[in-house]
Amino acid sequence: MPEPRPNTDPGELDGGRSDDGAGPEDGAVAGTGFGGSMDLAADEGRTLERDPEHDGAEPAGRPRSLWSDAWRDLRRNPVFVVSALLILFLVLISVWPTLLTSGDPLDCDLAKAQQGSQPGHPFGFNAQGCDVYTRTVYGARTSVTVGVCATLGVALLGSVLGGLAGFFSGIWDALLSRLTDVFFAIPVVLGGLVLLSVVTSNTVWPVIGFMVLLGWPQISRIARGSVITARQHDYVQAARALGASSPRMLLRHIAPNAVAPVIVVATIALGTYIALEATLSFLGVGLRPPTVSWGIDISSASPYIRNAPHMLLWPAGALAITVLAFIMLGDAVRDALDPKLR
Amino acid sequence: MLLEVRDLRVEFTTREGVAKAVNGVSYEVAEGETLAVLGESGSGKSVTAQAIMGILDVPPGRITGGEILFQGRDLLRLKEEERRGIRGAEMAMIFQDALSSLNPVLTVGDQLGEMFVVHRGMSKKDARARAVELMDRVRIPAAAQRVRDYPHQFSGGMRQRIMIAMALALRPALIIADEPTTALDVTVQAQVMDLLAELQREYRMGLILITHDLGVVADVADRIAVMYAGRIVETAPVHDLYKAPAHPYTRGLLDSIPRLDHKGRELYAIKGLPPSLTAVPPGCPFHPRCPMAQDVCRTDVPPLYAVEPGGAAGLATGEGRGSACHFWRDCLEGTGSR
Repeated sequence: MPEPRPNTDPGELDGGRSDDGAGPEDGAVAGTGFGGSMDLAADEGRTLERDPEHDGAEPAGRPRSLWSDAWRDLRRNPVFVVSALLILFLVLISVWPTLLTSGDPLDCDLAKAQQGSQPGHPFGFNAQGCDVYTRTVYGARTSVTVGVCATLGVALLGSVLGGLAGFFSGIWDALLSRLTDVFFAIPVVLGGLVLLSVVTSNTVWPVIGFMVLLGWPQISRIARGSVITARQHDYVQAARALGASSPRMLLRHIAPNAVAPVIVVATIALGTYIALEATLSFLGVGLRPPTVSWGIDISSASPYIRNAPHMLLWPAGALAITVLAFIMLGDAVRDALDPKLR
Repeated sequence: MLLEVRDLRVEFTTREGVAKAVNGVSYEVAEGETLAVLGESGSGKSVTAQAIMGILDVPPGRITGGEILFQGRDLLRLKEEERRGIRGAEMAMIFQDALSSLNPVLTVGDQLGEMFVVHRGMSKKDARARAVELMDRVRIPAAAQRVRDYPHQFSGGMRQRIMIAMALALRPALIIADEPTTALDVTVQAQVMDLLAELQREYRMGLILITHDLGVVADVADRIAVMYAGRIVETAPVHDLYKAPAHPYTRGLLDSIPRLDHKGRELYAIKGLPPSLTAVPPGCPFHPRCPMAQDVCRTDVPPLYAVEPGGAAGLATGEGRGSACHFWRDCLEGTGSR
């Protein structure tokens, strides 16, 4: 899921802090030692209030970690709130499209082809006489699936390969860097036309696989640079001087300090993958009917743009809003995670 | 002897050529002894320490010779896995800047506890209890509450205390402190040095104190090794060295300490700059900056002469003093011209 991702990280940190458990008791003991029932009440209050409001209850001006700072910034950022709500909505309707429509996107009546808005069919009908509203709702599922799966795949593959290259450097780093250069040299649309035109499968997986194949070098480069930066920090040297092993240094000391740029780029990339799926479907090499996709609908509606523009505008509008929401979210997350912008 | 470094040589491959960062350094640290390693930036004092700890970046660094005997074992012959077991448990290091040496995304309790989890296989809960004990031990107020705070929530002095606590967690036999007080206020410096010295006495650890602050050295060190351009130029018990330096470089360092009774006078400075390690001058590396330099200094590399009294026998046992200057006698008597 794209949306909860930036939230879970600070959440995990806070969670880690709270389930240590010793804290509230310590506070209560110290407080009662001071004497008086007021103290006890105050400590009760503090115990009950512990996280997530815990941060707010602390003395003002006490800085928190990068993640909880970022989460506080995000909650106050209207761009984040709007885009997060939009994405939440999209995720909801892609999981349960029946919340918004009782129709079947493949239930078409040629007699109603290209007709405009009618009661019960607010967006009208497309060239095949299918309900545009239902198809637009169901199209969200494809777009969100492709976007989320491609982003997860790209982020995992890219950050593992890039992270290892950055950490171990040397010959593997050199090889991997040249390999990313090779992949960068492949034009995405041309690559899609060549590679996907030979695929016969009707599912979303070839498209996702193609995006992962061409997308990982971008994340890999960022993860590599980010790990190299983090590796040079004194605390990594210090951890090494105190006997930490390589996996421990990488997972516990480097990764949490290097993951922020990867999250930012992946969130922004999610929007572009959704747009790319539509592009490939438009060109006829992405998804194919009977899969319901905004790209397919845009493609099939484009010849009729002059006499039945509604067939094009609704899926295109939905696509534009979705892509915008993910890119806005990425922007907000980047602003929150970049300490220099604070 | 706890630690013996013998004729250690470390090189770095750079674009400008091979930099001989450490060029035949030997020193010894006994149990409970404090050795101060003194020198300018680039004199090789930190690189020597990294080589001892085994945290030298390889490449570009490379150990080309010598041996490091720790409790009788030659560390350079051990496998990486064995060295990792020694790091942290038997020898530990304190870094200069405690803020950047602590991981910003982990609580100090997690980082202190990590020592016990990694080396002793303790459970997280036990490790946390030990972390609180350690924080108490280095006198951090309200340790039980602060154990779950992040490094940036502590002051500079407190952070350095936490670093000290981490280094001392497993009671190592040897501590290397790389400029532990440079990043601190003068008042806090004294507190942190006192704490370190106290814990060292209590645990009878060997301490290598890397510094360029002569003031810190005088209070806590037993012996001093002065490094210049990757070599030891003088080694002596601390009071002998302050009383009468046997190397013109040491004398230059002592003369460049600001002193109240010299108020109003121009502060002495050693002229020139330390040599580039890729192009160390032939002969004595200090000769271009030396007020006493003669022709022989430009051609012959001075060995580490045994300085009287004590002589060669004293130098061999680590009690005496040595000076890598052809004219150490003149220097000792103060007859060298400036």
